[in-house]
Amino acid sequence: MAVSVSTSSIPSLNSDRSNRFATSAISSSSPGLRLSSYSSSLLFPLRIGTGGLSSSSRRKRILPVKAKKQTFSSFDDLLAKSDKPVLVDFYATWCGPCQFMVPILNEVSASLNDKIQVVKIDTEKYPSIANKYNIEALPTFIIFKDAKPFDRFEGAMTAAQLIQRIEDALKIKQ
Amino acid sequence: MTVQASTSFSFGISSFVIPPARSRHRSVIRAQVEPSEKSVEIMRKFSEQYARRSGTYFCVDKGVTSVVIKGLADHKDQLGAPLCPCRHYDDKAAEAGQGFWNCPCVPMRERKECHCMLFLTPDNDFAGQEQTVTLEEIKESTANM
Repeated sequence: MAVSVSTSSIPSLNSDRSNRFATSAISSSSPGLRLSSYSSSLLFPLRIGTGGLSSSSRRKRILPVKAKKQTFSSFDDLLAKSDKPVLVDFYATWCGPCQFMVPILNEVSASLNDKIQVVKIDTEKYPSIANKYNIEALPTFIIFKDAKPFDRFEGAMTAAQLIQRIEDALKIKQ
Repeated sequence: MTVQASTSFSFGISSFVIPPARSRHRSVIRAQVEPSEKSVEIMRKFSEQYARRSGTYFCVDKGVTSVVIKGLADHKDQLGAPLCPCRHYDDKAAEAGQGFWNCPCVPMRERKECHCMLFLTPDNDFAGQEQTVTLEEIKESTANM
């Protein structure tokens, strides 16, 4: 199962159509990656949606989405490769407060662009990741620093409150 | 459950895309299986009645209300019971059978706590003034999903 991520500025993990293309690309080039639902290497490749035609894309299909395109082999890989702290939003499609947070996360991601990377994980598509972090209520936000959970909170909030929370968490790092 | 596309964001449709087998249209990819209209209507009515009964109000943003109602309807379709859509579960069927998180959930019944933001006590920052939501409102605010 491949993961493709596309949003305006926020990558989110969900199984969309492009997964199958990614899967077929991956299976021929990365035979070591297995379709496992309970391992850190279950995602392939995690692609964060592109700003249009990416000249570096080796895949033939074109999805006109906006945002930086990156490839990861798993969630752990994403965390490891990130040079910034990562805010992870665990959500579900039909969770009202989670959808309420969509524009707020866009705004926060834009204003804190240099300081934090925002990632969204659909807990129904990636239950193993959700289980690993003992997610219960949705939305749950976890701020990862150095690939480890640093701060964790639940529920919807305003952009100002979320920015405050993130900045408080990042302050301690410095 | 096979989900073929992101529900939160819109994608351009590429000519290389193979439509999923379940799709009835050649060029349209369904973003998400929608709950049945019947269940949505049942949960809509339930939500209005329960808000009145509990003295709670819907969110100022009816989009939140609509999404939760659809989430309840979706679980009712899939599991036979309106399991809370704002939670992650190890085993949804078991939870639906057990009942703690079936709407109205125990926290709501005991303490009027609804983290879905469906039933909000008047003192809540996000509480609006309404205890009604129409089917049209639900459809409009979830049209892009």
